[in-house]
Amino acid sequence: MIKAHNLSCGYAGHEVIKGISLSIKNGDFVGIIGKNGVGKTTFLKSLSGLIKPFSGNIFIDDIDIYKIKKSVLAKKIAFMPQTMQFDFPFTVKDFIMFGRYPYMNIFKHASGKDFNIVREAMDFTGVTEFAERNISELSGGEKQKVLMAQTLSQGTDIIALDEPTAHLDIGSQSSIFKILRMLNQKYNKTIITTIHDLNLAGEFCSHLVLIDGGKVFNNGTCDEVLNYRDIEKVYDAKVVVKTNPVSQKPVVIPIYTDSKEK
Amino acid sequence: MSKNCFKFSLAVLLLIITFIYSMTSGISDISVVMTLKSLFSKVDDNTYTIINKIRFPRVFLAVIAGAGLSASGCVFQGILRNPLADPFTLGISGGAAFGASVGFVLGMASVSWIFLPLFAFTGAMMSICLVYSLNVKKEFDSNGMILSGVVASYIFSSAVLLIFAILSSDQLYSAFMWLMGNLSSFDERLLPVITAVIVAGIIILCLFGNVINIITLGHEKASSLGVNTTKTVKYIFLLSSLMTALIVSCCGVIGFVGLMIPHITRKFVGNDHRVLIPMSVLAGAIFLPLCDALSRILFAPVEIPIGVITSIVGGIFFMFLLLKPSGKITL
Repeated sequence: MIKAHNLSCGYAGHEVIKGISLSIKNGDFVGIIGKNGVGKTTFLKSLSGLIKPFSGNIFIDDIDIYKIKKSVLAKKIAFMPQTMQFDFPFTVKDFIMFGRYPYMNIFKHASGKDFNIVREAMDFTGVTEFAERNISELSGGEKQKVLMAQTLSQGTDIIALDEPTAHLDIGSQSSIFKILRMLNQKYNKTIITTIHDLNLAGEFCSHLVLIDGGKVFNNGTCDEVLNYRDIEKVYDAKVVVKTNPVSQKPVVIPIYTDSKEK
Repeated sequence: MSKNCFKFSLAVLLLIITFIYSMTSGISDISVVMTLKSLFSKVDDNTYTIINKIRFPRVFLAVIAGAGLSASGCVFQGILRNPLADPFTLGISGGAAFGASVGFVLGMASVSWIFLPLFAFTGAMMSICLVYSLNVKKEFDSNGMILSGVVASYIFSSAVLLIFAILSSDQLYSAFMWLMGNLSSFDERLLPVITAVIVAGIIILCLFGNVINIITLGHEKASSLGVNTTKTVKYIFLLSSLMTALIVSCCGVIGFVGLMIPHITRKFVGNDHRVLIPMSVLAGAIFLPLCDALSRILFAPVEIPIGVITSIVGGIFFMFLLLKPSGKITL
């Protein structure tokens, strides 16, 4: 269980998140949605222990995450950034092994157990065939899967992802989200992700949090949150909400023609 | 792992050969056998003096300086995630050059042996403090560090030119030779201090190899993996700066080692800093005595500044690596 209590945070005196209280149950698959710049990422980073709040608290299983050591927190929640610069071209295998860092120290290096976990993470995300390649040679979708394997090998129950499918084609998008769904359903991992694509959000998430102006605008199941009134109001766009004929999940279709004015 | 063991053994072997070769090269012709004999037992006074009193400290200093410069260069590139980071771009060499020039203009260099290194060290520390204080509030952001280092470098090198304008021609010559890097003018009494600090520093940096690996992933990822990046970058920066400052204040500004040796080493062993740092240390410890030997014999009896050799030899070697078709420039 991860709980934000009256959370306010931001950067250098500029408040982005203005008093959010929210709780996420273990095993939830939560999508954080909202317009650009409303503080989705800031909120996610604060939940992950990366941005210290101005006020309010975040608890994971009733432990205040800003009161424990970073190395302890690293075993509870893993954060996957939206983009990473691959300044140093490590091999994929070595790169994924960095996810095991919280279980090592200056004198304790990778053990057989760590190698096994890395191998499993590579199989799970389907990157085993690139294991020996340099990470900088991979395509965007492949890189994202490697990053996912690294985050996974951190072995946490909670995984926070910032826009894991930004800049990816629809095939790669769905394979990333299928991996997340499997983690959520088979391994009971709690997934929290920011996401722009409302259809992906509606299809894969169990809960959605709609953020507007640094506050929670709406919060609930996909059917509850993805209604055309709220979406039109928050996104300042015309939409139609339909049901996906195969999955019976909500689909948001933007309307670009303004018939009333004509 | 066994591949790395082989590379390590090879590097150690090369280091030993280089050490012996450097001991034998010079104006007086002393054979390998005589050199080794003289190191371990008493031989005639003349040979003993040349080998044990002149050449040994000098070659030893070259080994230590080469090792220290490439270790800190390697670490700078890692923690700042920038291939251009080195003692020059961070302003440390510039500060040392400025300090030494002040020492020359005040005439302190001729008063006592300790003043020149002391002034150079003070200058280097000034520069480190400047870069440090400019970045302490910005959490040691990589670009900020490099930019402030480059700015500090510019300011100090202009100050050096200003001082050069008012030096007498004798002073000018010795100041100039010092600035280009010089292993002949250092005082042996500094050797124990330097050795102790550099060796200790290298051991600490090697232990931090994996932490540096994590830092190269960027602030967010590293934090999420439980590394306090700001604090770690701060301490590693201060330690490697101190090492560099000590070396440049004893040997003058030796360019290129801190920048190029880690790059060349990357080509052979990859980017895992647990392997890369010790390998860079060995590579630097091999490279600098070789350059020093060259500086002694190329235009003998005139000695040319070692900084010139390191830049030319290292630069050409690096260009060959760039030209190799498979030679991807990593980083």
